[in-house]
Amino acid sequence: MRIEVLVFGPVAEVVGADRIGVECHVSANDSGPSVATVLEAIGRDHPELATALSGARLAVNHAFAPPEALVGPGDEVALIALVGGG
Amino acid sequence: MTQVRVEIVGGPLSPETPSSAGPIEARGEIGSRVRFEGVVRRLEGEGTIEALDYEVYSPMAERVLESIARDEGRRSGVLGILVRHSRGRVAVGEVSFVCEIASAHRAEGLEALGSFIDRMKREAPIWKRPVPASSD
Repeated sequence: MRIEVLVFGPVAEVVGADRIGVECHVSANDSGPSVATVLEAIGRDHPELATALSGARLAVNHAFAPPEALVGPGDEVALIALVGGG
Repeated sequence: MTQVRVEIVGGPLSPETPSSAGPIEARGEIGSRVRFEGVVRRLEGEGTIEALDYEVYSPMAERVLESIARDEGRRSGVLGILVRHSRGRVAVGEVSFVCEIASAHRAEGLEALGSFIDRMKREAPIWKRPVPASSD
Protein backbone atom coordinates (compact mmCIF):
# COMPACT_ATOMS: atom_id res chain seq x y z
CA MET A 1 0.00 0.00 0.00
CA ARG A 2 1.35 3.44 -0.90
CA ILE A 3 1.30 5.95 1.96
CA GLU A 4 1.72 9.70 1.55
CA VAL A 5 3.58 11.27 4.46
CA LEU A 6 3.64 15.01 5.14
CA VAL A 7 7.08 16.38 6.03
CA PHE A 8 8.13 19.71 7.49
CA GLY A 9 11.09 21.87 8.42
CA PRO A 10 14.56 20.44 7.87
CA VAL A 11 13.15 17.16 6.54
CA ALA A 12 11.17 19.00 3.86
CA GLU A 13 14.32 20.89 2.91
CA VAL A 14 16.32 17.66 2.57
CA VAL A 15 13.78 15.91 0.34
CA GLY A 16 12.81 19.10 -1.53
CA ALA A 17 9.08 18.54 -1.07
CA ASP A 18 6.32 18.85 1.50
CA ARG A 19 5.41 15.14 1.29
CA ILE A 20 6.94 11.81 0.41
CA GLY A 21 5.32 8.61 -0.81
CA VAL A 22 6.43 5.20 0.44
CA GLU A 23 5.32 1.70 -0.49
CA CYS A 24 4.49 -0.28 2.68
CA HIS A 25 3.88 -3.95 3.34
CA VAL A 26 0.46 -4.76 4.78
CA SER A 27 0.07 -7.90 6.87
CA ALA A 28 -2.77 -10.28 6.10
CA ASN A 29 -6.04 -9.31 7.80
CA ASP A 30 -4.80 -5.76 8.47
CA SER A 31 -6.45 -2.74 6.87
CA GLY A 32 -3.13 -0.98 6.38
CA PRO A 33 0.51 -0.87 7.41
CA SER A 34 1.57 -0.20 10.98
CA VAL A 35 3.20 3.05 12.01
CA ALA A 36 6.43 1.12 12.58
CA THR A 37 6.25 -0.26 9.05
CA VAL A 38 5.76 3.21 7.58
CA LEU A 39 8.78 4.55 9.50
CA GLU A 40 10.87 1.60 8.29
CA ALA A 41 9.79 2.29 4.71
CA ILE A 42 10.78 5.94 5.01
CA GLY A 43 14.21 4.92 6.27
CA ARG A 44 14.56 2.38 3.46
CA ASP A 45 13.54 4.75 0.66
CA HIS A 46 15.18 7.88 2.07
CA PRO A 47 18.55 7.03 3.62
CA GLU A 48 19.36 10.75 3.55
CA LEU A 49 16.87 11.11 6.42
CA ALA A 50 18.66 8.68 8.74
CA THR A 51 19.70 11.40 11.18
CA ALA A 52 16.28 13.04 11.19
CA LEU A 53 14.51 9.72 11.73
CA SER A 54 16.36 9.15 14.97
CA GLY A 55 13.73 10.05 17.54
CA ALA A 56 11.13 10.93 14.91
CA ARG A 57 7.47 10.04 15.41
CA LEU A 58 4.53 9.64 13.10
CA ALA A 59 1.29 11.51 13.61
CA VAL A 60 -1.91 10.03 12.22
CA ASN A 61 -4.82 12.42 11.88
CA HIS A 62 -3.04 15.08 13.95
CA ALA A 63 -2.15 12.88 16.93
CA PHE A 64 1.05 10.98 17.73
CA ALA A 65 0.49 7.30 16.97
CA PRO A 66 2.16 4.29 18.68
CA PRO A 67 4.29 1.92 16.54
CA GLU A 68 1.59 -0.75 16.45
CA ALA A 69 -1.21 1.54 15.27
CA LEU A 70 -2.48 0.91 11.76
CA VAL A 71 -2.61 3.51 9.01
CA GLY A 72 -5.77 3.30 6.99
CA PRO A 73 -6.90 4.69 3.65
CA GLY A 74 -7.64 8.39 3.93
CA ASP A 75 -5.62 8.91 7.11
CA GLU A 76 -3.44 12.02 7.23
CA VAL A 77 0.07 10.89 8.09
CA ALA A 78 2.84 13.30 9.11
CA LEU A 79 6.47 12.80 10.05
CA ILE A 80 7.26 14.84 13.15
CA ALA A 81 11.02 15.21 13.46
CA LEU A 82 13.55 17.82 14.54
CA VAL A 83 10.97 20.16 16.05
CA GLY A 84 12.01 23.34 17.83
CA GLY A 85 9.50 26.08 18.46
CA GLY A 86 9.81 29.00 20.81
CA MET B 1 -8.61 22.62 37.15
CA THR B 2 -6.11 24.75 35.29
CA GLN B 3 -7.49 27.21 32.77
CA VAL B 4 -5.67 26.77 29.45
CA ARG B 5 -5.68 28.92 26.35
CA VAL B 6 -3.55 28.28 23.25
CA GLU B 7 -3.35 30.48 20.18
CA ILE B 8 -1.28 30.38 17.00
CA VAL B 9 -0.95 33.87 15.53
CA GLY B 10 0.30 34.97 12.12
CA GLY B 11 3.45 37.08 12.41
CA PRO B 12 4.96 38.64 15.53
CA LEU B 13 3.04 38.80 18.79
CA SER B 14 1.99 42.15 20.16
CA PRO B 15 3.19 43.14 23.62
CA GLU B 16 -0.46 43.70 24.61
CA THR B 17 -1.17 39.99 24.95
CA PRO B 18 -4.15 39.62 27.30
CA SER B 19 -3.67 37.94 30.63
CA SER B 20 -4.60 34.26 30.98
CA ALA B 21 -5.87 34.79 34.47
CA GLY B 22 -8.84 37.13 34.30
CA PRO B 23 -11.61 34.79 35.54
CA ILE B 24 -9.36 33.30 38.19
CA GLU B 25 -8.12 36.67 39.34
CA ALA B 26 -11.71 37.65 40.15
CA ARG B 27 -11.70 34.95 42.81
CA GLY B 28 -8.57 36.38 44.36
CA GLU B 29 -6.61 33.13 44.13
CA ILE B 30 -3.61 34.43 42.21
CA GLY B 31 -0.45 35.24 44.10
CA SER B 32 1.96 35.06 41.18
CA ARG B 33 1.88 35.69 37.46
CA VAL B 34 4.95 34.65 35.49
CA ARG B 35 5.27 35.82 31.89
CA PHE B 36 7.90 34.64 29.44
CA GLU B 37 8.50 36.20 26.01
CA GLY B 38 10.63 34.49 23.40
CA VAL B 39 12.34 37.13 21.27
CA VAL B 40 14.09 36.51 17.95
CA ARG B 41 17.77 37.32 18.41
CA ARG B 42 20.21 38.39 15.73
CA LEU B 43 22.79 35.68 16.39
CA GLU B 44 21.61 32.19 15.38
CA GLY B 45 24.28 29.53 15.63
CA GLU B 46 27.39 31.09 14.15
CA GLY B 47 25.57 33.39 11.73
CA THR B 48 23.58 36.60 11.73
CA ILE B 49 19.92 36.55 10.79
CA GLU B 50 17.22 39.11 10.14
CA ALA B 51 14.21 36.92 10.99
CA LEU B 52 12.91 33.44 11.73
CA ASP B 53 10.24 31.75 9.63
CA TYR B 54 8.00 29.57 11.81
CA GLU B 55 6.24 26.58 10.24
CA VAL B 56 3.34 25.23 12.29
CA TYR B 57 1.48 21.98 11.61
CA SER B 58 -2.10 22.87 12.52
CA PRO B 59 -4.30 21.79 14.16
CA MET B 60 -1.89 19.29 15.71
CA ALA B 61 0.38 21.99 17.11
CA GLU B 62 -2.50 23.60 19.00
CA ARG B 63 -3.60 20.20 20.33
CA VAL B 64 -0.10 19.27 21.50
CA LEU B 65 0.44 22.63 23.19
CA GLU B 66 -2.91 22.35 24.94
CA SER B 67 -2.15 18.79 26.04
CA ILE B 68 1.23 19.80 27.46
CA ALA B 69 -0.35 22.76 29.27
CA ARG B 70 -3.05 20.53 30.80
CA ASP B 71 -0.41 17.97 31.88
CA GLU B 72 1.69 20.69 33.48
CA GLY B 73 -1.38 22.17 35.12
CA ARG B 74 -2.35 18.85 36.71
CA ARG B 75 1.20 18.15 37.77
CA SER B 76 2.03 21.57 39.22
CA GLY B 77 -1.39 22.80 40.33
CA VAL B 78 -1.02 26.20 38.68
CA LEU B 79 -4.26 28.11 38.05
CA GLY B 80 -3.92 29.26 34.45
CA ILE B 81 -1.64 28.84 31.43
CA LEU B 82 -1.76 31.07 28.36
CA VAL B 83 0.31 30.12 25.32
CA ARG B 84 0.69 32.14 22.13
CA HIS B 85 3.05 31.19 19.31
CA SER B 86 3.80 32.83 15.99
CA ARG B 87 3.39 31.35 12.54
CA GLY B 88 5.31 32.81 9.61
CA ARG B 89 8.02 35.45 9.67
CA VAL B 90 9.12 37.17 12.87
CA ALA B 91 11.92 39.74 12.63
CA VAL B 92 14.86 40.15 14.97
CA GLY B 93 13.75 41.89 18.15
CA GLU B 94 10.11 40.83 17.78
CA VAL B 95 8.27 38.40 20.04
CA SER B 96 7.44 34.94 18.66
CA PHE B 97 6.30 33.12 21.79
CA VAL B 98 4.52 34.06 25.00
CA CYS B 99 3.75 31.83 27.96
CA GLU B 100 2.02 33.30 30.98
CA ILE B 101 1.30 31.24 34.07
CA ALA B 102 -0.88 32.27 36.99
CA SER B 103 -0.49 30.43 40.28
CA ALA B 104 -1.03 30.80 43.99
CA HIS B 105 2.72 30.94 44.67
CA ARG B 106 5.70 31.83 42.51
CA ALA B 107 7.58 28.54 42.96
CA GLU B 108 5.10 26.36 41.07
CA GLY B 109 4.62 29.02 38.40
CA LEU B 110 8.33 29.34 37.68
CA GLU B 111 8.83 25.58 37.68
CA ALA B 112 5.83 24.94 35.42
CA LEU B 113 7.04 27.58 32.97
CA GLY B 114 10.43 25.91 32.51
CA SER B 115 8.90 22.47 32.24
CA PHE B 116 6.29 23.61 29.70
CA ILE B 117 8.92 25.22 27.45
CA ASP B 118 11.19 22.16 27.60
CA ARG B 119 8.34 19.89 26.52
CA MET B 120 7.16 22.30 23.82
CA LYS B 121 10.58 22.29 22.22
CA ARG B 122 10.63 18.47 22.19
CA GLU B 123 7.04 17.68 21.23
CA ALA B 124 5.17 20.50 19.46
CA PRO B 125 5.18 20.27 15.65
CA ILE B 126 6.69 23.70 15.11
CA TRP B 127 9.83 24.42 13.11
CA LYS B 128 11.85 27.57 12.67
CA ARG B 129 14.01 28.45 9.66
CA PRO B 130 16.59 31.22 9.97
CA VAL B 131 16.45 33.99 7.36
CA PRO B 132 20.08 35.08 6.82
CA ALA B 133 20.74 38.78 7.21
CA SER B 134 21.95 39.04 3.63
CA SER B 135 18.83 37.53 2.00
CA ASP B 136 16.12 39.61 0.31
